[in-house]
Amino acid sequence: MSTDTSPRPATTGPLPTPDRVGGATPRTSRRRSRGVIVASAVAYLITFVILFPLLWIVLLSFQTNDNILAHPFSLSDLTLANYQQALETLNLLVMYKNTLILAVISVTVGLVISYLAAFALTRMVFRKGGRRTQNALRYYFLAGLAIPVYILLFPVYRIDIALGLFGTYFALILPYIAITIPFNILLLTGFLRDFPDEIEQAAVMDGVGLWRMAWQVTFPLMRPVVATLAILNVIYVWNEFPFAVTLINDPTLTTVSLGISQFQGVYSVDYGAMMASATLVLLPQLVIYAAFQKQVIAGMTAGAVR
Amino acid sequence: MNWLTTRRHFALMIAPALLIYSLYMIYPILYSLYYSFTDYDGVSATTFSGLDNYRHMAADPVFWTSLRNTGVILGIALLLLIPLGFLLAVLLSGRVRGSGALRALVFAPAIVAPILVGLIWIFILDPQIGLVNAFLLAIGVPAHPQWIGGPTLSPYSIAFVYLWQQIGFVLTIFYAGIRMLPRDVLEAAGLDGATRLQQLRYIQIPMLRETFGIVTALVVTGVFKVFELVFALTGGGPVHLSEVMVSYMYHITFTTQQYGYGMALAVVVFVVGALASGATFLGNRRREKQS
Repeated sequence: MSTDTSPRPATTGPLPTPDRVGGATPRTSRRRSRGVIVASAVAYLITFVILFPLLWIVLLSFQTNDNILAHPFSLSDLTLANYQQALETLNLLVMYKNTLILAVISVTVGLVISYLAAFALTRMVFRKGGRRTQNALRYYFLAGLAIPVYILLFPVYRIDIALGLFGTYFALILPYIAITIPFNILLLTGFLRDFPDEIEQAAVMDGVGLWRMAWQVTFPLMRPVVATLAILNVIYVWNEFPFAVTLINDPTLTTVSLGISQFQGVYSVDYGAMMASATLVLLPQLVIYAAFQKQVIAGMTAGAVR
Repeated sequence: MNWLTTRRHFALMIAPALLIYSLYMIYPILYSLYYSFTDYDGVSATTFSGLDNYRHMAADPVFWTSLRNTGVILGIALLLLIPLGFLLAVLLSGRVRGSGALRALVFAPAIVAPILVGLIWIFILDPQIGLVNAFLLAIGVPAHPQWIGGPTLSPYSIAFVYLWQQIGFVLTIFYAGIRMLPRDVLEAAGLDGATRLQQLRYIQIPMLRETFGIVTALVVTGVFKVFELVFALTGGGPVHLSEVMVSYMYHITFTTQQYGYGMALAVVVFVVGALASGATFLGNRRREKQS
């Protein structure tokens, strides 16, 4: 991880100057342009190869099972029957509903309490002392960045049972919140530390209280970071598997990831329907990614990229 | 500044995060550590067994297999994922038309749920129904390698799928580093007659030392999180030959319900992962000092 305490999303960096070197002679520019053509061909080919597995799944989802086994490349007898089968077998709506509920609650609550904590750790000033406590607590939170989720699975399972949460959404919501807190705090405290004192001083003069200070003065200026974190956290919860497979045994609570892991059991050798189901999960995700790719990439590389 | 905050307000604001974080992340670590020294199985009375679980681990061949497989994935990530990601970043930071769109496309696998990635690759790697062997057959190669499910190739296949998923991510971080390089240095080198390859070798790579450090640290951390790919592609089989440390820990804990031993494995995963990350961090620092 970057040791810099104020990482910024990639998109906020200074834009590079346009990639043009002036003064090239005609001969070298022709050689260069041939180089660009070769580089382009290689780049397009590599991109196609990388994307091929995704395209392959979509193609198979329109094939009959006979064709999948014998002539997977054949473009005759394409069929929608797999989708019909998938929609009849699969409770896609339940999977989406559950995952959405988990994502909305855990990301919202997680960000609100992370922001409150980060505000308290960086912006609060005490009559005497306090700075040391604030720093120690900040490091206590950041230590979580080094904790792998896998060591948590069984203890969390026991805690959920002890608290009577097993079998409810909260069995997953609480660990999801906990997992996202360290990175939320890393990024938020990084930005809050650089926040100019003058704005808050002016607000104090105007008699603004603590709560309004946190939410109406400071928070609006933190929106870009919060948006970045929200995207990152939603992707995490959406794709999360280890906790879901450990903490859900009620089919009505199945998440998208957990549902996918059961496809092989559900469909056995009905590969076409399996691929149709996979496509029904994959495509919406790719469409959303296409719409927000700048923000998604910035969110997922936040902290690593300055 | 002297707008007074009371300690009570501080406590109230920090309490929710502190509580959830402590209960769901810090307490579990202590819990795992404690039970790793017991023979807890959820049924019979739990007794303190000292280092028995760790001794058992040292004599457990599957543990060593899982450690080796994790090492295979780490090795392939360091030797292939990082260089290939870097070269692709160089390629897509040049004057290729539409390189922005290409970068976004190459990143796409990174946002797909790892469990779905596993399912997708079954249809490419499976010896019977997979694309690769169908292709080999079509071009007249009689061999029928067991990319997954066989005794030897699985960890390499898993490492390759991991590479596929992460390469766009690695590319993006390198690309951000390349963008920050001062352009005039490269231009000057170009005017002085340095070839593209020389610029890469003597200017770009040395100047991107810090980026290489960051990528290495992220990749090392990431390798110890590979779980879903194993779960979907091989289930750790056959006979645990393709188990990685995390998947074996999961199997012992939740399938065989040897909780004490499972927690000992979890602690070791944690420690080995932390040591690897620590070593990377120290290596980065030393290299930074030298420069």
